[in-house]
Amino acid sequence: MDRILVWDWPVRIGHWLLVGAFALAWLTSESEAWRLVHAGAGGTVVGVIAFRLLWGVVGTRHARFASFVRGPGGVRDYLLGLVSGRPLHTAGHNPAGGWAIVALLALGLLTGASGWLTYNEVGGEWFEEVHEAMASLMLGVAVLHVAGVVVSSLAHRENLVLAMLTGMKHGTPAEAIRGARPWAVPMLLACAAACAWWLAR
Amino acid sequence: MRQHAFAILVGLCATTVQAATPAELLAGYQSAAAQQSAGFQPSAQRGAAFFANRFGQSAKMPACTSCHTDDPALAGRHVVTDKAIKPLAPAANAARFTDAAKAEKWFRRNCTEVVGRECSAAEKADFIAFLTGGR
Repeated sequence: MDRILVWDWPVRIGHWLLVGAFALAWLTSESEAWRLVHAGAGGTVVGVIAFRLLWGVVGTRHARFASFVRGPGGVRDYLLGLVSGRPLHTAGHNPAGGWAIVALLALGLLTGASGWLTYNEVGGEWFEEVHEAMASLMLGVAVLHVAGVVVSSLAHRENLVLAMLTGMKHGTPAEAIRGARPWAVPMLLACAAACAWWLAR
Repeated sequence: MRQHAFAILVGLCATTVQAATPAELLAGYQSAAAQQSAGFQPSAQRGAAFFANRFGQSAKMPACTSCHTDDPALAGRHVVTDKAIKPLAPAANAARFTDAAKAEKWFRRNCTEVVGRECSAAEKADFIAFLTGGR
């Protein structure tokens, strides 16, 4: 198999922006002095996810939800293959990773929404509890996601963390994406910045 | 250690019994403080001094009054986010100190940042005594 381009620039930048913003929000969660930063980081998470949802429809091949979100059967087959030592290789996200992505995107939005409601004291005080529960759940899924990345990296003898930086993975030339679409990155950044500003104000 | 056990107890009670009164919370902190120092009596004066004290641990929020204003019966304003904060005094805001777990949570958060350490049960008792305007 060849080394081919599978992750475009918005996918890669969005991924690491999400990692950084979520980590920053987590680290500043117990502080009032850092509360504006916390809300801005949370707003960035929401902005990146909002862009990702759109990109999951109009983005490059392996960024599209239709290309990597599989049913329970697909996930089971992938996990069984992983256990048996003969994992099914996918050029893009594997089926288990696909579910982690969907869960992280959903939890990110729920955490952001409940956080905004708490921040502006809209609705009941129980949104504060919801916010904390969703954020903890999101951290749990992120840990599972990283564990899955390590296991799959070893199983496929392919550094998937590096792939999310370079965009390159093993695959056939026919599976490659044609361009990395760097022109969409400013749109991603604008969306993240606008959400950070609007949700933290 | 006892203080932590008390905090856990308070938290457990709060999950089953939702509505508490400021007087009940004060009594809880008072009995916890009495275990550490026999004959402890809450003091609204000490609570008032604590509320006004400039601890200076945080540059942006050196004192309780940085956000809550000098009068706990008035609405405050968050110095960092500029968001409105409802009055701390139960007389002005009936929802205050009616949930033991919530009180514990905010004592822990704000004491850590403003005072630079967790507050003692005695300080919490004095604080509620001051805010409820009794004793």
